[in-house]
Amino acid sequence: MRQLVRWMGLVGLVIACSAGVASAATMYAKKNGVTVTAEKSPMSAVMATVNRGDAVEVLGESGRHAKVRTRSGKVGWVFKFKLSKEKISGSGGGDALSALTGESRIEAKETRAGGSIRGLEEASEAYSKNKKIDPAHKHSVERMEQLVIPRDELLEFQQKGKVGEFVGGGQ
Amino acid sequence: MRKIVVSGILAVIVLMHVGQGWAFLDDLFGKPSGKSTEKKGQQGQKGLLEGIGSIFGAKEKDIDLFKKGMKTVQALQPIGENEEIAIGQAVALEAFNRFGGEYQNESVVRYVNLVGKTVADVSDRPELNYHFAILNSGEQNAFAAPGGYIFVTLGLLNTLRNEAELAGVLAHEVAHVTRKHMLNTIRRGAILSNVSELTLSAMNKDPEMFSNVIDEVTDKLFDKGLDKDLEYEADVYGLEYAYRAGYNPSGLKDYLVTLSEQKGKASSRFFTTHPSISVRISKCDETLQQYRDGVAFPVLAERFKRRMEAV
Repeated sequence: MRQLVRWMGLVGLVIACSAGVASAATMYAKKNGVTVTAEKSPMSAVMATVNRGDAVEVLGESGRHAKVRTRSGKVGWVFKFKLSKEKISGSGGGDALSALTGESRIEAKETRAGGSIRGLEEASEAYSKNKKIDPAHKHSVERMEQLVIPRDELLEFQQKGKVGEFVGGGQ
Repeated sequence: MRKIVVSGILAVIVLMHVGQGWAFLDDLFGKPSGKSTEKKGQQGQKGLLEGIGSIFGAKEKDIDLFKKGMKTVQALQPIGENEEIAIGQAVALEAFNRFGGEYQNESVVRYVNLVGKTVADVSDRPELNYHFAILNSGEQNAFAAPGGYIFVTLGLLNTLRNEAELAGVLAHEVAHVTRKHMLNTIRRGAILSNVSELTLSAMNKDPEMFSNVIDEVTDKLFDKGLDKDLEYEADVYGLEYAYRAGYNPSGLKDYLVTLSEQKGKASSRFFTTHPSISVRISKCDETLQQYRDGVAFPVLAERFKRRMEAV
C-alpha cells in the first residue's frame, strides 16, 4: 500500500511538472520591435517593445490579440500573430552543442532583421558580370532592396483598409 | 580500446546532432530547419572534438579522422540566411533579365510592397526582409526567389480584381520563402551532386558551382515548376497568412478561378509550372472551411482599382 502511494505520488509529481511546462502560457516574439500596447490597437500607447525571441507571459486572449506581461513586468496587448508558441532559436537556453562550446549556434539578433542595405553579395555580383547581365537589372535588384516602408506608413495603410491589426474595428 | 574511444567520440557527435534537430536528415527529406552561421559552427566543432577527444584520450590522428566526418555533416547543414540572400539576388537578376525588366511605377510598386509586407509581417519568417517587384511582362506569373525576393508580372496584376486577390497571390509566394521550398530543393540537389559546401565563401571561390545552383533554381522557378505538393503547401500556408493579415482569405482561390476561365486564352506559365488549377481550387475550398469568419474580411476592390489606375 505504501509503495502504491509512493508510486502515485511520483506519477502525480511528473504530471504536475509536465503540466507546468505545457500550460506555461509563454510565447515568443517572432521579430524585433513587436509593440505591447495599452489597448488592442497598434495606435494606442506603447507600453513596451519586445524583440525577436523575447518571452512574454500570455494572460489572456481577445479576438486577434493577446494580453501579455513582458519580462520587465509591463502588461499590454500584442497582435497574436506576431507571437510564436515555439521558442526562437538562439534566444536563450541554447542547445547541447552551445552548452559545451560556449557558443550559440544561431543568435536571433544576428539575423538580417531590420536589414541593412548592402547591395549585391560578392557571389551574385560575380554572377552578374560572368553572365553579362544588363547593369539595369542589377540596379533593379538594388532598388528592390532599397525600398523601405516606414512602420507608420504601413500602419496607416492597414488602418485605412481595416486589415492587419485593424480587422474587427481595432483603431 | 582505441575502437571504444573512437566509438565514444562518434556517439557524442551523433548526440550533439540530435540536439540540433536531426538537421542532416532534414537535408535528405526536405524538412526546413534553422539558419547556419558557418564560421561559428566550425569553431564550435573544433573545440568540442578536441575537448572530448582529450578526455577520452584519443590521438590527434583519430580527431583528424572525425574532423573529416564532421565536414561532410556540415555540408548537409541548412543553407544560411546570407547564402540564401546571395542566391536570391542572382535569381532576381535573372527574373528581371528574362521577364521584360523592372516595371518602374513608384506608386504601384509601393502599393504592391504595402500589401506584401502586410502579409509577410504575419508569416512564419517575419524577420526576413521581403522585397516585392513588378516585372514588365504581359504574361501572368508570380514567383518567389530565396531570401524573400518576390515578383509579380504586370499581366497578372492586370487580371486581379481586388486587393484580397493580390494579397492571396503574394501570400502564396511568401509561403514558398517561409517554407524554404527552393532552398530544400537546392540542398537535395547539392547532396546528389556531391557539392561539399554551400557557404558564402564556397560560393565566392567557386563561381561555376554558384552558377550551377542558379541554373537549377531558375530552371525550376521559370520553366519546370516546383513539386506539386510544395505548391499545394504554399496554397495552404498562403491562405493562412492572408487570413492572419485580415484579408478575405478566398483571394487566392478567386484568382485561380479567373485563371481557370482563361485557360487556352491567357498567356501564363501557371498552366505548365503549377499543378492542375481545378485541383488547387478544390484544395483551397477545403482549407477555406477553417476560415469561415474570414468571409467578413475586406477584399478592397475600390482601393485596388484606384491604386492600379496608375498602370
